[in-house]
Amino acid sequence: MKSFHVSAGSTFSVALFSDVTNSRELLELMQSAKMEPEVALLNASLVPDIFPVLAAAHKALVSKSRESLTTRTLHSELVYNYAASKHISESLKRCGISDQMSYILAVRFNASDDEMTSVTNLINGKEIDLEELEPRSNRDQILKHFKIPPQELAISSLSDAITCRIAARDAL
Amino acid sequence: MDTCQTGQAELGLLIKQGAEARVYLSSFVGRKCIVKERFSKKYRHPILDSKLTVKRLNAEARCMTKARKLGVVTPVLYGVDPVLHTLTFEFIEGHAVKDILLEFGSNGIVEERLNDIAAQIGIAIAKLHDGGLVHGDLTTSNMIVKEGTNQLVLIDFGLSFTSTLPEDKAVDLYVLERALLSMHSSCGDVMEKILAAYRKSSKQWSATMNKLDQVRQRGRKRTMVG
Repeated sequence: MKSFHVSAGSTFSVALFSDVTNSRELLELMQSAKMEPEVALLNASLVPDIFPVLAAAHKALVSKSRESLTTRTLHSELVYNYAASKHISESLKRCGISDQMSYILAVRFNASDDEMTSVTNLINGKEIDLEELEPRSNRDQILKHFKIPPQELAISSLSDAITCRIAARDAL
Repeated sequence: MDTCQTGQAELGLLIKQGAEARVYLSSFVGRKCIVKERFSKKYRHPILDSKLTVKRLNAEARCMTKARKLGVVTPVLYGVDPVLHTLTFEFIEGHAVKDILLEFGSNGIVEERLNDIAAQIGIAIAKLHDGGLVHGDLTTSNMIVKEGTNQLVLIDFGLSFTSTLPEDKAVDLYVLERALLSMHSSCGDVMEKILAAYRKSSKQWSATMNKLDQVRQRGRKRTMVG
């Protein structure tokens, strides 16, 4: 688990899990809004690096502070922002978790140590180091989802390409 | 947007002010960044002003991402804020081409470096134009050479637009030519090197080059002979 300072006064805790077996259960908990504590669950194979997730988090916090969230909660807003698409349900489906998913990134805003421990207990899987994000990411899936052309790859990292799309989504 | 300094909507350390925007130095989730604020024009009606500024902001963000997709090196966009009228980009460490050429002018030219920069400029503009994007403000102060990698980075897409017309592309090149002539004539014929690289990398160069000759004829301060 790692913590980041996303903006003045807000922290962001991140934990990566592999070999997750109860993704169906987690999905049901999320959809019925009974998840305690509230956490955002991302499809970790679409995350090559933590920076784009931080950019999505920053954006979500700004929207929340202006009472202009597009989705229902701060955490679902993060998943929506990460997808860099204007289609809400499609984004949540693609970048969030699904039934058979075994590789998940869990993130929570302003989480206390206790809350993160309960998140770890909630997920039936092995917590691994964030360094594993890069080697375990699905490059082809990322290129396809974010529509990154080869010319762009020649001049930029995957992380930068995704961050640009997250930032510019509402401008397009 | 929160920054390293405290205070209401403090955007960071002001480092430059232009006719359209103010540029601040700040940090974004721990990374050094630039915040560009397009300020409101007080002479405009407030509602119109806000709408226009947001429109320009979005256009700039769109053009930058389009340029990236075409393979042109630009700073990474970190965020767009329509309420504060700001764009947040990665901070590029390095010197503007303008400063490098001015240094060549006063301390002597490093032939190899000049050729490299000119070639990169030509290639970058060729990629933009072939992709139907016109930069709109091609000057040496809008190009930065990244420290370490010596990669050319194009900045300031605030005046850019989409166009496939050879006329628009020719004017784009002409603006650069005039800028080079006025500031950097002591560096020799840099434009020729840039155009050589442009011809090599662009697939539609001939129409543009023909138009460029016409535009040169038109330009200001011409001796009306012949």
